Amino acid sequence: MAAGAKLTDAPKLVHVTVDGTSIEAREGEPLLQALLNAGFDIPHYCYHPKLSIDGSCRLCQVKLEGIPKLQISCNTPVRDGLVVHVDDPEVHLARRGVEELLLLNHPLDCPICDKAGECWLQNYAMRFGSRFSRTRDPRRKRQKRIDIGERMLLDQERCILCRRCVRFCREISKTGELHIFNLGDRSVLDIYDQRLDNDYSMCTADICPVGALETKDFHHKIRVWFLEETASVCPSCSNGCNIMVCTYKNRIWRLVPRRNDAVNDTWMCDSGRLNYRFVMDPERLRTPRIAQQNGQVDTAWEVAVQEAAAQLNAFRARHGGKALGAVISPHLTNEENYRFGELIHALGVERCAMAVVRGKYDNFLIKPEKAANARGVRELGLVAGNDDGVDDLLAACEAGQIKGLYLCSEDIFHVIDPDRLNTILGSMELLIVHSLKQHPLLTGAAVIFPATTFAEKDGTFTNHAGRVQRIRRALQLPAGWLTEGEVFTRLLNQIEARQEQFDLSFIWQSMARNGTAFANVRFEEIDPDGAPLHNLA
Amino acid sequence: MAVRIVKVKRPTQPWSSMRPWWAVVVGLWVSTRHFFVNLGRFLRGSQDFTVHFPEQRFVHPPALRGMPVLVQMENGKERCVACGLCEWACPTTCITIFPAETNNEVERYPEVFDIDMSRCMFCGYCEEACPEEAIVMSRQVEISSYSRQGSLWHKEDLLVPISQLKTRIDYLRSHYER
Ligand code: SF4
Ligand code: SF4
Ligand code: SF4
Ligand code: SF4
Ligand code: FES
Repeated sequence: MAAGAKLTDAPKLVHVTVDGTSIEAREGEPLLQALLNAGFDIPHYCYHPKLSIDGSCRLCQVKLEGIPKLQISCNTPVRDGLVVHVDDPEVHLARRGVEELLLLNHPLDCPICDKAGECWLQNYAMRFGSRFSRTRDPRRKRQKRIDIGERMLLDQERCILCRRCVRFCREISKTGELHIFNLGDRSVLDIYDQRLDNDYSMCTADICPVGALETKDFHHKIRVWFLEETASVCPSCSNGCNIMVCTYKNRIWRLVPRRNDAVNDTWMCDSGRLNYRFVMDPERLRTPRIAQQNGQVDTAWEVAVQEAAAQLNAFRARHGGKALGAVISPHLTNEENYRFGELIHALGVERCAMAVVRGKYDNFLIKPEKAANARGVRELGLVAGNDDGVDDLLAACEAGQIKGLYLCSEDIFHVIDPDRLNTILGSMELLIVHSLKQHPLLTGAAVIFPATTFAEKDGTFTNHAGRVQRIRRALQLPAGWLTEGEVFTRLLNQIEARQEQFDLSFIWQSMARNGTAFANVRFEEIDPDGAPLHNLA
Repeated sequence: MAVRIVKVKRPTQPWSSMRPWWAVVVGLWVSTRHFFVNLGRFLRGSQDFTVHFPEQRFVHPPALRGMPVLVQMENGKERCVACGLCEWACPTTCITIFPAETNNEVERYPEVFDIDMSRCMFCGYCEEACPEEAIVMSRQVEISSYSRQGSLWHKEDLLVPISQLKTRIDYLRSHYER
């Protein structure tokens, strides 16, 4: 049961006095949460807003008037007229005692511990603990670096037995791999009959207040204090989990979930978390390529844009815009897709499709569509039909009605049988592609633009439930690089002799003017938690 | 670089026990003494005012902050665990570390540990930050090189056996109350 589930539908607001000041709190919520909301920095380990109350760490103790002993605030429901003391010598003494007990057998691995820098034991020990150790006995030995799962490592010495991970596996992933064995001083966290291999296993490393659970992916990679965090959205499925992209030296080192109660609470799935290497793939295209007599050659961005515009104009003069088909990308931002919509409108394109890769899903976070913005394309009205127009487009290609294709992504290669696609692409007179990598099916392309990933641009994605969420540039691109939106804008300028810029707020104004579903949302309102396109009531 | 500053409360010391304030007087005394010693030599007709480098070498006191080096333990391994604190503390960002994992008892070691000596300013912050006593300021001061590449010192160049660094380590322990 989640911490707040006890609450009735309309929680009553009551008053609690803390150190002489009166704060408002919802009746029945954990006192600790009320104190944290009011800005009191109460140290705690075992309490987590998305897990049940455990009360095992005893660090959150406060003094309640009328009760002789200190009480743990996480397991004290708020009621009216509660008088609380948090800045009290007795409370400080209790905190110091808890810290000392936790450090009694702690290995102090900080120099080699991945958590160092964001470790709650470090932080609270520095703030509330005493600076000196009074222990004489050697520290207890436990197993270290135990391989407990495909993606996880366990260090039993560092564990402070807060049971957050245990509750996570029971309540959130509902798999129950982790348990605490033995009692008292001999308690130890371990797995029993199954390894920690659930689809959300790496979340246990996030919620572990210390470095006891570590992900193999981030193990000994980099110290956390070097990382810069950029708030963004996971690109790997249509759920759109909110994330922080952690970068250093223009590289992504890890993705971690960011709290958003309307989307992903504080979790994200393992496959999404690990799906960042494609951004740094050395095989990614870095320069545009254009076709010449002796095959494709690398060229400058401006040259490629000129070439694409010239080819599109010539094609239109030969066959008319109707003979051109477009495959829209579910990975591009709403703004880019809107601009692409303007471009194909200007070209007179009639048949558009979107190919979305589908895969494994569950009824928690993982959604079948393995792309972040398929819903956004549909909301813009760019594609129609159950299969987003793919069959219609391919049939028209095979019937010879369509003689040129503009592909915004290579997803269609994974959806359609390669032989069929090979024949279709082979019969095209004009092929313009945005692609992450060179692909054997692309040898006939007139122009290939390198695709830009979610980590390298600004914009918004629309998730499966119609929530618009902001992504941000976390990595720097090489000088002169054009994102898809900029390429579309330049092509539009060349074809219609316009003077447009690719500017987010300007595009939002334009989307609102033209009465798309995006008119319901103001761009400024999207941050930080996103905004629903349709009233969900 | 994301700079997050956490104010750490340091133990307060009485003014009387702080770094010797009378060091100023000692410094003046040293300069004055040298002046008179050299004056005496001059009056006696001697030419020996300085150390004749490189034929003669000066034995630097342990307080000297020469180039930072890595401590090599008796088993030939570095003591450094690639914790990255010196990299973070270094004001000139001249240290580059890439950690890696081993099966030794200490599971982490620096695969790459480079110091760009052309940027190092011998401040000793790395030494002060190190939790493992793994990087210390040596008495080595002759670090010129013919190329910029040459001033990039790698782990193999930086390792110095612990026996040669004993004086500095003893000095550190007495000085920084470790
Ligand atoms: S868990 Fe925290 S206190 Fe323990 S070794 Fe790791 S960083 Fe240090
Ligand atoms: S491994 Fe971490 S989360 Fe699990 S009980 Fe130990 S300290 Fe708590
Ligand atoms: S002595 Fe100062 S400048 Fe040189 S490496 Fe150490 S911290 Fe950096
Ligand atoms: S501070 Fe010490 S242990 Fe840490 S990386 Fe630097 S030399 Fe190695
Ligand atoms: S947070 Fe209240 S006992 Fe752990």
